[in-house]
Amino acid sequence: MFFHWLEKNPFFFAAGISLVISFAGLIEIVPNFAKSAQPLVDMKPRTVLEIAGKNVYMKDNCMSCHSQMIRPFKSETDRYGDYSLSGEYAYDRPFLWGSKRTGPDLHRIGNYRTTDWHEAHMLNPPKIVPGSIMPAYDHQFENEADLDTAYAEVVTVKNVFHTPYGPEIKKGQAAWDAHKPKVLEDAKKIAADMKDERVKSAIAEGKVPEVVALIAYLNSLK
Amino acid sequence: MQSNAALEYDYSLAKKFTFLTILFGILGMIVGTLIAAQLAFPELNYLLGEYGTFSRLRPVHTNTVIFGFTVSGIFATWYYLGQRVLKVSMAESKFLMVLGNIQFWLYFIGALAATVSLLLGFTTAKEYAQYEWPFDIVVVLIWVLWGVNMMGLIGIRREKALYISVWYYLACFLGIAMLYLFNNMEIPTYFTSGGLGNPLHSVSMYAGTNDALVQWWYGHNAVAFGFTVPIVGMIYYFLPKESGQAIYSYKLSLLSFWGLMFVYLWAGSHHLLWSTVPDWMQTMGSAFSVVLILPSWGSAINMLLTMKGEWNQLTDNPLIKFMVLASTFYMLSTIEGPIQAIRSVNAIAHFTDWIPGHVHDGVLGWVVFMIMAGIFHMAPRMFKREIYSKKLMEAQFWLQTTAVVLYFTSMWIAGITQGMMWRAVDEYGNLMYSFIDTVTVLHPYYAIRALSGVMYLTGFLMFAYNIYKTMTSGRELTQEPQFRTPMA
Amino acid sequence: MDSTDIANLQGYASFFMTVFLVIMLYGYIIYLYRSEKKGERDYEKYGRIALDDEIDSTPVEDKPASQRYKDEEK
Repeated sequence: MFFHWLEKNPFFFAAGISLVISFAGLIEIVPNFAKSAQPLVDMKPRTVLEIAGKNVYMKDNCMSCHSQMIRPFKSETDRYGDYSLSGEYAYDRPFLWGSKRTGPDLHRIGNYRTTDWHEAHMLNPPKIVPGSIMPAYDHQFENEADLDTAYAEVVTVKNVFHTPYGPEIKKGQAAWDAHKPKVLEDAKKIAADMKDERVKSAIAEGKVPEVVALIAYLNSLK
Repeated sequence: MQSNAALEYDYSLAKKFTFLTILFGILGMIVGTLIAAQLAFPELNYLLGEYGTFSRLRPVHTNTVIFGFTVSGIFATWYYLGQRVLKVSMAESKFLMVLGNIQFWLYFIGALAATVSLLLGFTTAKEYAQYEWPFDIVVVLIWVLWGVNMMGLIGIRREKALYISVWYYLACFLGIAMLYLFNNMEIPTYFTSGGLGNPLHSVSMYAGTNDALVQWWYGHNAVAFGFTVPIVGMIYYFLPKESGQAIYSYKLSLLSFWGLMFVYLWAGSHHLLWSTVPDWMQTMGSAFSVVLILPSWGSAINMLLTMKGEWNQLTDNPLIKFMVLASTFYMLSTIEGPIQAIRSVNAIAHFTDWIPGHVHDGVLGWVVFMIMAGIFHMAPRMFKREIYSKKLMEAQFWLQTTAVVLYFTSMWIAGITQGMMWRAVDEYGNLMYSFIDTVTVLHPYYAIRALSGVMYLTGFLMFAYNIYKTMTSGRELTQEPQFRTPMA
Repeated sequence: MDSTDIANLQGYASFFMTVFLVIMLYGYIIYLYRSEKKGERDYEKYGRIALDDEIDSTPVEDKPASQRYKDEEK
């Protein structure tokens, strides 16, 4: 009787569907939350410049071809380094594991690629890796990285999610103005290893091209 | 209700959404074909400057075909068959009509704006949930409008029993609502930082592994409730109606409905592969997925059995061909999915082209075929004209079928080749291939895939042309056809 | 409660929930076929809803007019 009644009552029918479909989420996802959120010991969150670089990574959608997830197989650890641990991602919002390796994994690329390698590669991938089908990202040398937004993101994760940033990260324009020279300093260090004239002149003017932030981020992937 | 004698079904909303289905279909498939070609011929990355790279265009492709093409197809067919199986006209309620029109315009403008935002690089980076927060709010609004409209229509229905299709549309509405809301929980950084940076930017509520869990719970089940459930709802109406055969077994349809609701939950368990939950639980999850594949095949078999004794229709009605092929591809991709979820297979298949191959035999063979069949069936009723050309339909069918076969075979080979090459070791246990070796070897398969894209797109343009000619110059019908769709 | 406890609890919960839902599903199958065999219900008549779907065709199961008006006012 119960079932028959269900098929005539849209409201309870809908309630039945909701119950059945929410079951997997409750069982599979919710109980893991606390455990998966634990960072590794002594892990530092990313700097403002690195976050700006992560946003460039997202903007140009690097994750549509590159993963950041080394699986526990010998063939993968031989190729990319130690397999990935859950705690390493604890500060990543969003996660950038990717789902397709048209290009290689990048989770530990900071260990084996350098700033000048990235610079040359972003300008012309097939020149550095013959046969590469990756497009050049010349516009990253022209566009300015959005540091304001990166700082806003850092403030947000600090205040809302208690990501352990220092006391200098505070709300508002004044705090940002005070912190910005530090970010430009980081950018200068990266740019010192680069050759491109556009990058040099932008840095001299106190601007940070997208590619500099991106390389800072890629170097932080270890 | 004495005025019922003159009452007719109101197809105005179905027509509007049909136009959008075709428009977004063409857009999404052009972009898809372009990015497929870019993988074979990288020079094509530089057609539109920064906006033309593979990476920038891929989310444009996926979101346009999901939230543009498929969702308008779902709306269009709902506003057609919803009325018919409930035996109530939209025209009977001004309120629902107004609501539907608001939904349409909000959707049209929202979808275009969201697509442009992706091109400009505003993205949350979570696959199929890339839209930034303002667009998420628009999506939720549209969805709520549709839900209210659906519930409203069900509320004023004449037919007390809810037909099978209605269950599926209801499940689609509820499932997507739940998934989309939870996965898109994000905090706009502008407001929490004292007004700094870009107002469109946001950060996810979840971090790292949790974010991945929520995302793939969404990602997989969005396929379930966007690409499977409503499409099954369509075929349950259009196939019986077009063939004039009642559904083979109503009981089987009930079972497969609840089975499907149940199976897809467990499809989520393959995201726990290689993780830290107890092994026996992972194994059990896989086992139940395989056992419960039966209800999922139930629908497809029910469709094929509906045609029992009527197989002659397959040869003389191209529309039946479209639908039978669609349910066959549905069976293929629902057996392929669980195979890929087996741990050892997953170790090879994951991250390779086998995955896009799997997705596309489902969407090209099943989703798009079924939506096109639905529109072919609806067109003569909506426009009161005969289908313009049966020959064109036949040609389109064979062209697109060949394209789908080329697509998935080339991607199967590409995926397995690459997966095997990544793990190949020589006699001393050293890796045999550098990464780039595994890329260059794929060139011929990428080229075949690009060709299949061109073929499929051509087929879709033939479809669009056929519908356009039907609207404008098909022979006028004096009476609404009952079963078989008339075609010239 | 540490994480292994949670993982075990999760395992048991999913196991019993799955068993429960499987029993419900198969109970449903038995219910469907038995009620039709006993002649309490004719499920297959509902298949006609899709075929006979003109606005003036007779519903397979009528929703009483009084109820229709009530719903409309809501």
